[in-house]
Amino acid sequence: MDPHDTRSAGSGPGLPEGKDRDLDGLLALVARGDEAAFANVYDRLSGPVYGLIRRVVRDPAQTEEVAQEVMLEVWRAATRFDPAKGSAATWVLTIAHRRAVDRVRSATAAAEREKRTAELVSAGDEVADAVEASLERERVRRCLAGLTELQRESITLAYYGGYSYREVAGLLGQTLGTIKTRIRDGLIRLRDCMGVTW
Amino acid sequence: MVRPLRANPHALTGAYAVDAIDDETERARFEHHVRRCQDCAAEIRGMAETATLLAFSAAQPAPPALRDRVLAAVSRTRQLPPLVEGQRQPEVRGATPKQLLVWRPRLAWLVAAASLIAVIALTVTLVQTDAQFDRARALQARIAAVLAAPDARAISQETSAGGTATVVYSRERHALVVTSAQLPPAPQGKVYELWLLGPPRVRPAGFLRPAHNGRSASVLVPGLVGGDQLGVTVEPAGGTPRPTTTPILVMPLRA
Repeated sequence: MDPHDTRSAGSGPGLPEGKDRDLDGLLALVARGDEAAFANVYDRLSGPVYGLIRRVVRDPAQTEEVAQEVMLEVWRAATRFDPAKGSAATWVLTIAHRRAVDRVRSATAAAEREKRTAELVSAGDEVADAVEASLERERVRRCLAGLTELQRESITLAYYGGYSYREVAGLLGQTLGTIKTRIRDGLIRLRDCMGVTW
Repeated sequence: MVRPLRANPHALTGAYAVDAIDDETERARFEHHVRRCQDCAAEIRGMAETATLLAFSAAQPAPPALRDRVLAAVSRTRQLPPLVEGQRQPEVRGATPKQLLVWRPRLAWLVAAASLIAVIALTVTLVQTDAQFDRARALQARIAAVLAAPDARAISQETSAGGTATVVYSRERHALVVTSAQLPPAPQGKVYELWLLGPPRVRPAGFLRPAHNGRSASVLVPGLVGGDQLGVTVEPAGGTPRPTTTPILVMPLRA
């Protein structure tokens, strides 16, 4: 194994260990009401939080609203973060994803969803195109490319599109059972490819 | 009771980890399964961490103004008390127990919200001019903010005039959203007037106007304070400053 590979059990979603431990520690400070620590957490996670919500919600004004709610929730609920249950980044991004999905499932009228469907057809390409210098991004791209097309589309529509597996099945013309299975085995393959150790 | 034959519940871990189960019953049933299935819980955790990497790969710089707003909001927001021993709930997918507790009542208000949303969509499509559209959008955003508030609660209640009124309210937003279904039209020359019935005083809060199938456009009522109840009375067209008839509905809004 590569000695420079700093991932180890409990270090979070395959992020360099130091970075992630830092976040856990920062969140513990936030739980004690440390606003400076919160600003630090904000600076580290606002990019993924904002970018993820934007992918799901699309509308910039609504994205800002949801992102603000999420960040405020992180502040309020930091007292209840349990590092034994997952990494700090995942705790925050789970809240972000759920809030984004809640927003599109509740507040978006049918017409708006149809528009998003049209825009989402190219979502797979967007992921493939998102090759930036970032190591994470490169690794994600490589691992997504290693999935079957159906796995990749199912996961992309569900996670970035905020669609339910039922809706994904409808969009891709597949049975519910097939989509459930593709999301699951696709995520397992991604997890193994990205070296996630949880 | 005969348990219906079901597909392997384990197969839902992936859909669950990416919030792709939109059927509340199915999700509740799956969460029940996960509480007894350690393998499922472990698998979901790994998937949640994997999803985090997908989020990182979608990162975009947030607008600088957002940072200022969040930090300003933080400085005036009290944090939740930590959970103490004995309060802990079984949990899955890295959610805090608090989130799961919040999640359960979500069923009720999602159902209610869904009916509100249909009405909001209707209001927006009915307006014509740009100015009307802007106003409708601003209203829609304020309504959406109440619906999406972390502490939003929903209740439905029958009125003595028939039909039901549904309310989604948020103490944090100091506001509520009301709509009705199957509410008969108000008698000729009369309106349904809304009231905030508070210990401080009774305040008029707008009108409920049933249109299609007794559905009314959603009414946003700001200025909600602790102890308020929502009341509806039948009043002469144009409304009155104080209720003059027996309410057809009094809805308690618990904290």
